[in-house]
Amino acid sequence: MASDLQPAILEVGRALDAAYPSRTRNPLKAIDERAMALAATDQELKAALFRFVDVTPACRSLDDLARHLTGFLDELPERPPSLDMAVRMARSRTGRAALGAAAAAGVRHMAHRFIAGESPRAARGELRGLWSRGVAASVDLLGEATVSAAEADRYAARCAEALDELAEAAAASDLPAADANLSVKVSALTPLMRPDAPDLGREDAAGRLRPLLRRARELGAHLHIDMESLDSLETTLDLVLDLLGEEEFAGGPSAGLVLQAYLRDSPAELDRILAWARSCPRTPPLVVRLVKGAYWDHEVVEARQHGWSPPVFESKADCDRNFEALTRRLLDAAPLVRVAIASHNLRSVAHAIAYADGRELELQVLRGLGDELGQALATRGHRVRVYCPVGDLVAGMAYLVRRLLENTANDSFLGAQARGAPVEELLAAP
Amino acid sequence: MSLPPFRNEPTLELRRSRDREALLGGLRELEPRLPLRVPVLIGGDAGGAEGIESTDPGNPARVVAVAGAAGERDVEQAVRRAAEAARRWGALPAAERAEILIRAAALLRERRLMLAALQVRECAKPWGEADADVCEAIDFLEYYAREAVALERGPELLQVPGERNAMRHVARGVVAVISPWNFPLAIPCGMTAAGLATGNAVVLKPAEQSPGCAGELVRALHEAGVPPDALALLPGLGDAGAALVRHTGVHAIAFTGSGAVGLEIIRAAAETPPGQRHVKRVVAEMGGKNCVIVDSDADLDEAVPAIVRSAFVYAGQKCSACARVLAHEALVDRLLERIEGAVATLRVGQADTFGTDVPPVIEEEAHDRVRRYAELAASEGRVAAGGGDVPDEGWFHAPTLATDLPPDSAVLRDEIFGPLVTVERVPSIDAACDTVEASPFALTGGLFSRSPDTVREVTARLPVGNLYVNRHITGAMVGRQPFGGNRLSGVGAKAGGPDYLLQFTEPRVVTENTMRHGLVVE
Repeated sequence: MASDLQPAILEVGRALDAAYPSRTRNPLKAIDERAMALAATDQELKAALFRFVDVTPACRSLDDLARHLTGFLDELPERPPSLDMAVRMARSRTGRAALGAAAAAGVRHMAHRFIAGESPRAARGELRGLWSRGVAASVDLLGEATVSAAEADRYAARCAEALDELAEAAAASDLPAADANLSVKVSALTPLMRPDAPDLGREDAAGRLRPLLRRARELGAHLHIDMESLDSLETTLDLVLDLLGEEEFAGGPSAGLVLQAYLRDSPAELDRILAWARSCPRTPPLVVRLVKGAYWDHEVVEARQHGWSPPVFESKADCDRNFEALTRRLLDAAPLVRVAIASHNLRSVAHAIAYADGRELELQVLRGLGDELGQALATRGHRVRVYCPVGDLVAGMAYLVRRLLENTANDSFLGAQARGAPVEELLAAP
Repeated sequence: MSLPPFRNEPTLELRRSRDREALLGGLRELEPRLPLRVPVLIGGDAGGAEGIESTDPGNPARVVAVAGAAGERDVEQAVRRAAEAARRWGALPAAERAEILIRAAALLRERRLMLAALQVRECAKPWGEADADVCEAIDFLEYYAREAVALERGPELLQVPGERNAMRHVARGVVAVISPWNFPLAIPCGMTAAGLATGNAVVLKPAEQSPGCAGELVRALHEAGVPPDALALLPGLGDAGAALVRHTGVHAIAFTGSGAVGLEIIRAAAETPPGQRHVKRVVAEMGGKNCVIVDSDADLDEAVPAIVRSAFVYAGQKCSACARVLAHEALVDRLLERIEGAVATLRVGQADTFGTDVPPVIEEEAHDRVRRYAELAASEGRVAAGGGDVPDEGWFHAPTLATDLPPDSAVLRDEIFGPLVTVERVPSIDAACDTVEASPFALTGGLFSRSPDTVREVTARLPVGNLYVNRHITGAMVGRQPFGGNRLSGVGAKAGGPDYLLQFTEPRVVTENTMRHGLVVE
């Protein structure tokens, strides 16, 4: 199948490549380019930078910030000269203040690249910007981990407000791509997420998700339930299929879930989702967002620590092949489900477009990482949605670190693209 | 025989329903066998199995095991036969003993579902903890088997022409093992396996609350090939343990339990009555009052769940559990608020229910103790969380969070060994270290900080045996976190570590002159 498709994939891929807004086609450009390039080649430096980004919001002063930065840099066996200077600067109080201020500005700059604003209201301008370019958005509310009922309630309340905000913003805008679309995390909707007792979290989160589904239906908004680490998969999948299967939601709202192609069990999960979709017809049909999965390192480390076989594909090629197989199955299952392909891998995206061959398909990218691909897709007339995290810096750190990890992974597609690999190589079958 | 390198036995993957179902199957297999009968077992002769009973802490009417109560005569007989057996057992090559221990590990592995279920019933250990306990028991057998083979080779000594130097580690003789109920399989297994691997005979006196688990351990070791005389089982009460400790034929005592009993054992073991030709070696693992320090730069999203887990998993009945949180004043209020909210979400319930966070404590006496300290905390300070509804039957105590206690409060000083944790405000990390250093205990400790300098400074200062940085402070793994305390928390080497077996051996050095009339005969 894939081999018959190869000429079409090449054609789509080349056309997208040509439609990239920037001739450098470097998605890493706006980030501190040198720091990221260093991080990609030096694992220890990468760890130091990530630890610094991670601790930034918890530092109480610029002095404190500078001390942390130099603390991390001190642990490096060798430092590039520019960073050596930073360590020397930090020996005086005024030096530390200057260094702290520069570093804080750097992290804020980086965070803003990935995070659209402090709140949905603050992100309105960004959303209008996307809509005006024919690009839709899905807003994700960043927050602290939920450890108590009160925190779960607060998150649910923020989600409800965000739905209102988004619906209002979309209504106030005449732009074609404007719609209200919110992504939510089940682990934030309940403090009872227990890997060994998925029913606990499911029942507790259902009490908070149900009102959100009703609100979304009233507003005509879309609610998308994100997928997180494997520990919460059973809870999340059970919850979404149970609730959306309820009579009350057969006619809406528009809703969706996520399938993670890096999971070895993902084909079986798709079986279950499609069987559910056949037994619970709903309008509009469920959206399935196919992603690679953002918790690869976490899953592998956790499995190694416990002596379990990793639940994820360990080779990129296996994962990419599975992504394409799932893409084809999803597209073939339409209109039982609506299909959203979320990837920054030009090959995976071109494959989906070529296989869809005009059938309905949405493509999704992440703010800060897939902006240029998103633009290219929109230019070529494809339906595109950008996943836009919203929230404050403290809350966004975990997200930011995960994105940076992904961005600097040795085998990341974006890394290869940034290094200027030829388009034929980028489009080769996995 | 060459053994593959040690690796930890993987726990079940309880996030998968197939593994949860498997454990429930283990419980179904076990239930018709209850109550287990655990006789006094000396040299293959089973004595009476009536005297003590263990009951389900979540349903005290349910008898889990009926066991014999060993008396002085049993102790006498067990030690005498062990002394004879020790000569033959100790003369075997370490590799042969290792093979037998590894066979025992395989038997535990085969029976792991039933063994986990037994802990659920006998000690109210929740599924995940019970499964981990079985894995740890397997780890001890596999690890010490390998370590004993390595130890037998002896260390390299300096050699010069004309002489040959060799150092060996030889079994001490008879090891008395006195084990607790909170790791009802793993801890007796570890101490017993260490004694056996090094060529000693072992007399095991398990906690009166968990004879059933100990019985299954001994059954597996005997089936694997440990000679009946080389391993005796003496279920019973404290007097049997006391008699065992005093016995002149015992060479080493491996104990894990309360500080009061541990110190008593150390005192008794120091006696050398007439006829005893050796000084007893004591390996004692005792209590703790473990502190977690939270610095101003800590990530509360990680610290809160880790603290709650460290304090309340298995109802706080681990010697490594977190008892005190020392939090920097910059974030103590926020931390307290979040822990309070998290404690309120904890599920108090039966150990056999997946998702239970806080099972009942082991027995009525423990329940009374926790209640007394909770009342004291309420009168001397403030109980921020606690007192929620708990089931009527069984020794359930609501997870309790106390704060605002005066510095000299007994709640901050005594080991409570139950689901109660305190939070204190500290002006600096230095002050937190002072508090830890002032404690007579030094078992485990925790630190949440993202500053490399702070981590370095605290690591250098704290006297604790096991310090955990930016994670929960329980769940030491064999071979990865050798475990044991300092100060009044323990004497002896680290369990599950590379020097543990030395406690069970005595070193002997032989120097041979190889020069005869100016000729070196090698």
